[in-house]
Amino acid sequence: MNLSLVWSEPAFPAWGALAGAAMLLGLESRRRGGIFELAALAVLVPLAGLIAAQPEARLERIALVIGLAVATLARNRESLFQSECALKLLWVMGGALAFSCAGLELLILATGTSEPTEQWAVLEMGLDPRFLWSTALPLSLLIGLVLLGGAPFHFWAADLFQGTRPWLAPLIVAALQVSGGIWVAQRLSGIESFPPAARAIGYQLEVAAFVALLAGAVTLAIQRRPERRVGTLASLNGALVLAAIAATHSRAGVAHGPWAIGPWAGHLTLALAGAGVLACFAQTSTGASAAGPVLFRRHPWTGIAGLFALASLAGVPGTPGARLWLELARSLASAGKTWTLLALGAAWLSAFGAAVRQAHEGFGATGSAPPPERSVPWQARAAIWIPALGLLALYAMR
Amino acid sequence: MLRRITPRIDARVAGGLLCGVALWLLWFPSLLTSALGIELLAAAFFCWARAAKDSAAQVPRWAWLRRPAVALWLAVAIQTLSVTLEPGSEASNMGRTLEVLRRLEAIAIVWAGLELLAALPLTRPYSDLPGPFLAVRPWLPILLPAAGFVLLWRQAPHWITVAEVRHGAALLLLVTAVLGAIRSFSRRQWIASLRWIAVTDSAMAALLVSSGLVPEMSSFLLWLGACGCHAFMLAGELRGASPRRGQLLTRLWRTASWMAIAALSWTVLMTSGAGVHGRLEPVFVLGISLTAVLTAWITVGRMVNAPERRSLVRRDQAINLSHVVATAIMALGPIAILMAWWSGFEPSWGRSLLALLPAGLGGLAAVATRQGHGRALWSRLQGWEALMRRGARALFRMVVGIERLLVTALGRATAALSGPLHDLHTGDAQEYLLFVIGLGVLAVVLPLLQ
Repeated sequence: MNLSLVWSEPAFPAWGALAGAAMLLGLESRRRGGIFELAALAVLVPLAGLIAAQPEARLERIALVIGLAVATLARNRESLFQSECALKLLWVMGGALAFSCAGLELLILATGTSEPTEQWAVLEMGLDPRFLWSTALPLSLLIGLVLLGGAPFHFWAADLFQGTRPWLAPLIVAALQVSGGIWVAQRLSGIESFPPAARAIGYQLEVAAFVALLAGAVTLAIQRRPERRVGTLASLNGALVLAAIAATHSRAGVAHGPWAIGPWAGHLTLALAGAGVLACFAQTSTGASAAGPVLFRRHPWTGIAGLFALASLAGVPGTPGARLWLELARSLASAGKTWTLLALGAAWLSAFGAAVRQAHEGFGATGSAPPPERSVPWQARAAIWIPALGLLALYAMR
Repeated sequence: MLRRITPRIDARVAGGLLCGVALWLLWFPSLLTSALGIELLAAAFFCWARAAKDSAAQVPRWAWLRRPAVALWLAVAIQTLSVTLEPGSEASNMGRTLEVLRRLEAIAIVWAGLELLAALPLTRPYSDLPGPFLAVRPWLPILLPAAGFVLLWRQAPHWITVAEVRHGAALLLLVTAVLGAIRSFSRRQWIASLRWIAVTDSAMAALLVSSGLVPEMSSFLLWLGACGCHAFMLAGELRGASPRRGQLLTRLWRTASWMAIAALSWTVLMTSGAGVHGRLEPVFVLGISLTAVLTAWITVGRMVNAPERRSLVRRDQAINLSHVVATAIMALGPIAILMAWWSGFEPSWGRSLLALLPAGLGGLAAVATRQGHGRALWSRLQGWEALMRRGARALFRMVVGIERLLVTALGRATAALSGPLHDLHTGDAQEYLLFVIGLGVLAVVLPLLQ
């Protein structure tokens, strides 16, 4: 048995998130009285496996993940929200997949090979017209951008968190985002050997990252639903990968050192799992004075554990997520990408503010309300504690 | 189980603890501890606000305290980033990035300090309102300008070295000092006046820090003398107006306050006239002089002996804490100026005497008004004071109104600009498909057009 599939940095968070999801799924199946509900685990396990193993990105594999997600979402016919999410994913990701497939085929047609490193070597010979590769390359990356969920494709992650079950959304979002990150990173590996393409794509990615971070920051500031906040934070985390890849492939055509997808993927999975469950128990911000939700009034420490996951997702100082944001800021500063760095700063401030707002709303604007009689089920609390402890372990490991 | 073993801490006590730790952390020169301190201060106000009976009003009222904390966290992040960057690669385009970061760090620190000092148009009138904690409500807002000054004073090396930031901050501080004095003058209540004088003291002391011409400790002692004096007087008001009990004590506090204001305004005037503000020097000198006249007039003129209403007068000690503190405050100003002189701050005699005039005149006019009570001239002067107070109130409201108008307009413009982003986030599935197709077509067409 390959131990890295169990105890590597992206692996154990994936299994941790799966354990949390299984807890929630068990609770739900007991309430609905059907053991068949547990069949959804058959989808969750491969999704967690994908995050843990991070296999080579291929379009067929990405199509399979999207198909799996859409099929799982469409399964619950009674939920209109879930069906709408499935439809949105199908439209947007299906369309993007088609465009990327066309772009990839164009590149293969031009170079005669599907290997990225060989493609750059062939293009370097200058036999093909510029417009061919300059059209094909961005098209081939389109699915990666959509999957990463950076603005203007930031709607789907928030929709998923708002519209689907808490055991399903974190793993689907993480699996899709990780697939997108791997796709973009692997498609561009070795592009420095063909400087015109490195320059062009570095610039395009920089613009994409800038837009994703800034639009994500503004969107997050106006979100009132806790689920949408978590979803928008997920899309901001996707934008981090875009910015990191933009920093790696700088405009000068010099690679600035790789930004590892593994730690990002592991952290994202755990933080989404914890924050996603927390969001289910939090209430929509109304701006009026209100007592906190049951979770915080009855189980304040569990609420704090959930807030820790959310804070980590937002990169609040002292959390494992903050390291990722700082590491990216270093890469951007080293590459001299000042504007993207400023956008990153704006996104960080917005994320930090959202996390603190969530904490304030969690504890409520009034402290005099007595704790309610009914408690939150232990499975739900365990689903918050597992990711929080996993994040602490991640912090200790690095 | 965990719930059972966790002791329930009263929100008021928790707020007090948080506030104490916050002030302790602010004392350290590290930016991280300052950020943590302001964050804890915001948390303390949140704790008190949600425990208050009128929590619906208190929680949103003090929510702005998160803004200075966020600004400081940004400064911490920039500092951490700058420290970890490789120093060898500054020659490349990273040098420009580092320069931008340095300015941004200075702006973030100054933003935090100025907002706490009521020097930004966002939350200027907070000192008009009492704080959220019932027991010390009227006193509580004084903590904020104090925290703002300590922050700017402690983190001075990060922002006074950036010329544009320093000049901008100095201008805002001058406006705050003048507005604080005008507002204090316009308020009838002695407690409300004291809160605004504390804002003015802190703004003037921060102005002194921005000049960078006197040693750090001198600036601090001058601020401690002025702001500490008014904070103690305010605290005393909440404990039976203790600084105004008895003729001797009243006179002692009046003198201490006058001396503290004179020492602070004298030093600020001397540094403002030393060419640090360029062409705006006359504006600064005029503004500080006006502030000194008004604050001296208020503290000397309005501090009256509290009448004894108890039938059986309690026997107090001949010398109590109030006497000791007032005497110490009187000593602080001269000590601070002596320290500045010792470190090379040597202004000319003529200018020094001129710089003493505003505070001296303000105080003397107040004394003369009180001594001449009943005479025609002074009675007329008191009538004018009432008229001027109304004028001051109108002026302050007009300035704050204009500021609010500008901030609201800016907020609306931002909302209008970010509106389309909100729409993008909540569209229909078909719209997103069209959007992806549009983007794909754009990717095909753009390279062809190049």
